[in-house]
Amino acid sequence: MNGDLIWRIAGGLANVGVVLLVAPLCEGVLRKVTAYLQSRRGPPLWQPYIDMLKLLGKEDIESGESPALQQFVARLSLAAVLTVACLVPMGFPAPMNGAGDVILLIYLLTLCGICTLLGGLAAGSTYSLLGIGREMMTMIALEPLFAIALLVGAVHVGSFRLDTVLNGSVYAAKGIPWSGMILLVVMVLSFQAFVQRVPFDMAAAETEIMEGPLMEYSGPKLALFKYAQMARLVVHSGLFVALFVPWGSELAFPLGWLLFWTKVLALVLVVTVVAATHARYRIDQAIRYFAGLLAVAFGALALAGYGF
Amino acid sequence: MIAREKLDQLKAGLGSVIRRADLPSDRCLFVFVEASALKIVCQHVFRGLDARYVTSIGADDRPFSGSFMVAHNFAFDRDHLLCSILAEIPPGDPRVDSISDVVPPANWAERELRDLVGIKLTGHPYPKRLVLPDGWPEDVHPLRKDLPWNFVPADYDAGREFKFDEPPEGCTVVPFGPFHPTLDEPAHFRLYVDGERVRGCEYRGFMAHRGIEKLAESVLTYNDIPIMAERICGICGCVHNVTYAQAVESAAALQAPPRAEYLRTIHLELERLHSHLLWVGLACHIVGFDTLFMQCFRIREPIMWVAEKITGNRKTYGLCVIGGVRRDLTDELKAELQQVLDRLETEWQTVTGAVLKDRNIQQRTRGVGVADRNLVKEAALIGPVARAAGVDIDCRRDHPYAAYDRVAFDVITAADGDVWSRLVVRAREVFESIKIIRQCLEKMESGPIQLTLKDELPVGRLGLSSVEAPRGECHHFVITGENNRPRRWRVRAPTYQNLQGVPMMIKDQQLADMTITLGSIDPCFSCTDRLETIDLKSGASRVWSPEELLKLGRNKKIL
Repeated sequence: MNGDLIWRIAGGLANVGVVLLVAPLCEGVLRKVTAYLQSRRGPPLWQPYIDMLKLLGKEDIESGESPALQQFVARLSLAAVLTVACLVPMGFPAPMNGAGDVILLIYLLTLCGICTLLGGLAAGSTYSLLGIGREMMTMIALEPLFAIALLVGAVHVGSFRLDTVLNGSVYAAKGIPWSGMILLVVMVLSFQAFVQRVPFDMAAAETEIMEGPLMEYSGPKLALFKYAQMARLVVHSGLFVALFVPWGSELAFPLGWLLFWTKVLALVLVVTVVAATHARYRIDQAIRYFAGLLAVAFGALALAGYGF
Repeated sequence: MIAREKLDQLKAGLGSVIRRADLPSDRCLFVFVEASALKIVCQHVFRGLDARYVTSIGADDRPFSGSFMVAHNFAFDRDHLLCSILAEIPPGDPRVDSISDVVPPANWAERELRDLVGIKLTGHPYPKRLVLPDGWPEDVHPLRKDLPWNFVPADYDAGREFKFDEPPEGCTVVPFGPFHPTLDEPAHFRLYVDGERVRGCEYRGFMAHRGIEKLAESVLTYNDIPIMAERICGICGCVHNVTYAQAVESAAALQAPPRAEYLRTIHLELERLHSHLLWVGLACHIVGFDTLFMQCFRIREPIMWVAEKITGNRKTYGLCVIGGVRRDLTDELKAELQQVLDRLETEWQTVTGAVLKDRNIQQRTRGVGVADRNLVKEAALIGPVARAAGVDIDCRRDHPYAAYDRVAFDVITAADGDVWSRLVVRAREVFESIKIIRQCLEKMESGPIQLTLKDELPVGRLGLSSVEAPRGECHHFVITGENNRPRRWRVRAPTYQNLQGVPMMIKDQQLADMTITLGSIDPCFSCTDRLETIDLKSGASRVWSPEELLKLGRNKKIL
């Protein structure tokens, strides 16, 4: 039993390490592909690593209303994403399976969003407050979507266990998996918002409210927030793959592992292309859009309740 | 005989107050009226005769005629006529009736002449300081002739702060500028925001007023000024350069040789091309569409290169002198310019095809920042902003100058008056500019590019010129003078009028639309005034004040 526990913790830590290592690379790919679409050469693939190191090495300037809270939130935001990483399968089955269930996962995902809110609130400038106003509206409309997807899976398999839910459970209906297919469409249409990229980056919106909640952050604190954002892209992609396109993950190492990361990379590319070919929506337009998706998602949940 | 007709119309109603009139050509009309009747005449011209307000000018004419002078300029666009209503104001305690309550777009220009020339306004609806710095004493007016150009009053208090109006109840104040990622230059908007809605705003600009008019009137000479005028704007410099030269030429009754006129047209349209491409790119950037921003800049670059080949500079072409231009266009350069235009046309078709069909951009720009026909009249908006609202005005056609009367082109208009319409107008105008340059290259006749001026320019003549800049009408007013320089030179850049319409355009809009609305007039403010240096060894930082920077710049010492 004890040996098993150590293995699980080691697996969780391995996931954390992998996410920390891969996240800047994904960002690098994103930047490179964006540059290609914009007829630019773009920075080298490893530029985000250098950026992080540089930011981490800078002077830690305390600007904002409550510096202590700001310090704490910057750490919490990265920690929250990395904790999610412990619970999500990253090419292997979810490592810390027994440590938590789907409900914990939903809580942790919400915590990631709350960190942005707290960060902006602690900074306290006008633009930060505008940004968190937008972030809050987005969260209220958006967070239930992932929760519903996880719940639908849980309803289908009759369990809250991570390893059973995070394995394509949304399609586990008897007969044609209507609810799963509907949710797949909903998640594809809202994925850009989960990873806070154009056209749904209203909360930061550099050309309108100057990065909103992050406006007062620089140096190491900014590095932590940025790292959390990059990790978010990987973790959410991982979650999406586990929940909606799990096929092939059960193959033996390294096939299943390779397949998983190929799928994550493909998702990153999709995010990049969408971000590069869209203008930012206004917050009211975005909320209307999310509200529509939310209504459809609730419909899918009801269908799942009846076993479809 | 339009000028004569208009004068007769004016005389019919108000003959008793008109002192004298001057009709130097059929395209401009100067009417001198009694100072006490200025307001009623302007009201009649603006409302009764439905003229478009252009600008107001104040001048200290005491050394020459013994009095101050105020001029209100109007344009009859359909009749191809520019008109100036002038009045002499007795010295001592110069005072004139404000026309802003009957001609609302005169608001800024009147406050400017009050600030700079010191002519007091009676009955101005919002007499707050506009141009002078906040610590400048009340009774010192820099454009008066008895003040040297570098005069700083002893009681100037650089530290005094601007006093803002009280925000309306229930609104939070969101400061926008002086430094903001989408404001390339310093200007401050104090937005009154209710949730995500903008309920109103107060504007404070003129943060880096450079006193170029004063320099021209006291230090520079006729042919220095075009080079200085070009530096008024970093994007449409050539426009000021040409407008000034034309204003002086119209005052002195000179006519530049035909080849020079074609060359001016080509350079002006080159400038419009790169300016419009820049704007479409920036507009996309503001709404978060960076891919199109990058593509626009890539397509724009060859224009900058060909401009550099022709003039030696990507920008600031240094084109005009009084009576002509400074350099010719060789046949090799003409061929190269043709090629650049061909490539631009194909690439721009691709971009406009993508932009004009994009629903995503339409969602962000349709119904946003609307300026309807009524606002265009009431705020005297010009250029693409007016044309996007269906007001069919374009100085190139209405007040033809250079070679525009010899080329065929369409004036592009749209109907809705929103940001989207402005985007469509600008995107389509690029094709018209290409058309114009091609015609010029084809029709340009050989011949001299400059007049040989044998005599000094006549003194005390008035000259007007309006040029269609990429952002709208650029208007210059000149009174020729002694010592080889003008007595008075007044510049009205297009943003000066269009910016006054912004508070109405953003009222009750979403805060998110503020930047694109402001961006949609293609604003052009002015430049930097302070910087900070850090000594890397000791880590000590030092903020440089405007005074120190000026001193440093004038001593030509390098940091």
